[in-house]
Amino acid sequence: MSESYRAIDWNRQKRLYDGILVGLLLLGLGTFIGVSLLRSPNATAETLILRGSSISGLLLLHLILCIGPLARLDSRFLPLLYNRRHLGVTLFLLALVHAALATFQFHALGDENPLVSVFTAYRRDYRVFADGVFNPAHFPFEPFGALALLIFFVMAATSHDFWLRNLGAPFWKAMHLGVYLAYGCVLAHVAFGILQSERSAVYPALLIAGFFVVSGLHLAAARKEFLLDRNSRSAERDGFVATCSIDEIADGHGKVVFVGGQRIALFRHQDRIYATSNVCRHQGGPIGEGRIVNGCITCPWHGWNYQPEDGCSPPPFKEVISTYKTRIVGNQIWVAIATNALGSRCDGSSISRS
Amino acid sequence: MNDPFYIGYLDKNPPTLARHTQGIVLLLAVIVIGLTALLAARQTPVEPGDFEFGVRRTFTGVILESPLPLLRSVSTNGAVTHYLLVGSGKYGLPAFARGNTGKLVRFDGSLIQKGGSVMVELNAPESFKVLGPATEVELTQKQERITDVVLTGELVDTKCYFGVMRPATGKVHRACAVRCLSGGIPPGILVRDHDGGAMAVPLTGSNNQPLKVDPEWAARIVTAKGHLILSGGLLRLEVLELSLDR
Ligand code: FES
Repeated sequence: MSESYRAIDWNRQKRLYDGILVGLLLLGLGTFIGVSLLRSPNATAETLILRGSSISGLLLLHLILCIGPLARLDSRFLPLLYNRRHLGVTLFLLALVHAALATFQFHALGDENPLVSVFTAYRRDYRVFADGVFNPAHFPFEPFGALALLIFFVMAATSHDFWLRNLGAPFWKAMHLGVYLAYGCVLAHVAFGILQSERSAVYPALLIAGFFVVSGLHLAAARKEFLLDRNSRSAERDGFVATCSIDEIADGHGKVVFVGGQRIALFRHQDRIYATSNVCRHQGGPIGEGRIVNGCITCPWHGWNYQPEDGCSPPPFKEVISTYKTRIVGNQIWVAIATNALGSRCDGSSISRS
Repeated sequence: MNDPFYIGYLDKNPPTLARHTQGIVLLLAVIVIGLTALLAARQTPVEPGDFEFGVRRTFTGVILESPLPLLRSVSTNGAVTHYLLVGSGKYGLPAFARGNTGKLVRFDGSLIQKGGSVMVELNAPESFKVLGPATEVELTQKQERITDVVLTGELVDTKCYFGVMRPATGKVHRACAVRCLSGGIPPGILVRDHDGGAMAVPLTGSNNQPLKVDPEWAARIVTAKGHLILSGGLLRLEVLELSLDR
């Protein structure tokens, strides 16, 4: 965790993750270049790398955008989420190769500074409406790619936990939502660029299908959470709200419930029920979907730990999450709306004595 | 309720979860192969053309700068070839070769070739030698005015189109074509026949002058009206009127 900014050791799973990533990338690039050469043996190496890097990057971007909602819909996708930042850094490198080669190939060795030419080569076509006619075919596509590259760079450069800690999780998280803006820029870059050159209907069809997959998964994940929240609304009594029954939580497991307008994580550990904030101090992961591992609440996203009785990370770490008083009435778990003082001890409710 | 729990910093994924992850990886591999193959297969096939990058040959002949920079070369059997001349990168005839119209010269350069169209990139200034004035015979240019035509097609830069870039047309190549035209590379109009065959006809101005064209018209569809002229195997259009279509 964040006591020092040392990367977690390069364990077997990380190596496997990166190995598979590189393997899939090579598979995609190899297939693209092989089939392109079969069709056009005369294509230049620059064109093959330019197009190969952009197509691999586009596929990777879709995967990155799908992992979040997939993991929210089905926890078995969590192994893809854990090292997602490696995908982000790889995406930036692919975009960089694409941009550097395109800038050199199309803009360098001429009568204008290549970095200026990228934005000004056909400057008059920045007018979207030419003579009152919508003119998307000629609108420059290069600036959209440049903006996407800039966003990918900022995200890749700040992907380490050092930046998360120094910028603060809410700001860092908001900044990394920039990936959606970058996605929009990439769509515009492709639509105003290659789709104006290549005429096969397969390209726009796949781009639109990709957009529907990404947005469909996000809507499905949002719907699932909305329904969970709605189903867990219930009556309030002396500052406590009834949530679920004890039987709904297995020992060592958690559950997300909705109390006083926010999500709370309930955990059953040995004979007791504990309630904590559902928002992980790392990247806001859903703590209630985690488990108790070695006596600590463990976040499902990257495994940060918190002690159930006070919400504190075990020493030497210093993160703290809020805790809540609980009550067991009959079989029902009631949770206080008000939080306990941060870091104060709260022993939860005994199941056997209820 | 007892589904396995994944912790990334541990060495092993629980077995049932590992099997699911393996399934996802397999599915991803299938998607990657399928999509990249499909995307590659649907590309417009690249047209022929060749640029002998890094290879230098020696050329001898008479330089003519206007309306197109050309080297008129006569082989031992008397066949005349007109090589279009351009500079390195995105530039037209380089300064070291200019001002030599009508002179017999020799230089090294790299050949660019597409079908019957030939072009030389003058990229070795040190090799450029003026051998003397051309003879009357060498200067005689037989020009044949074939017909008056109206051609509609994409405005291209001849250097990329003749083989330096493959592909060298369309929106993705537009900025490059703008730079090339702006750098003095002769413009061409890309025309296609009904069988899909294509050729770029170099454009010149009237009165034996180069054609002045707005570089930002590159990769746009233009209509050119003028005289089609053939000399030394090189077809060109002497433009009387040029307009931007779309
Ligand atoms: S969000 Fe990363 S460990 Fe919780």
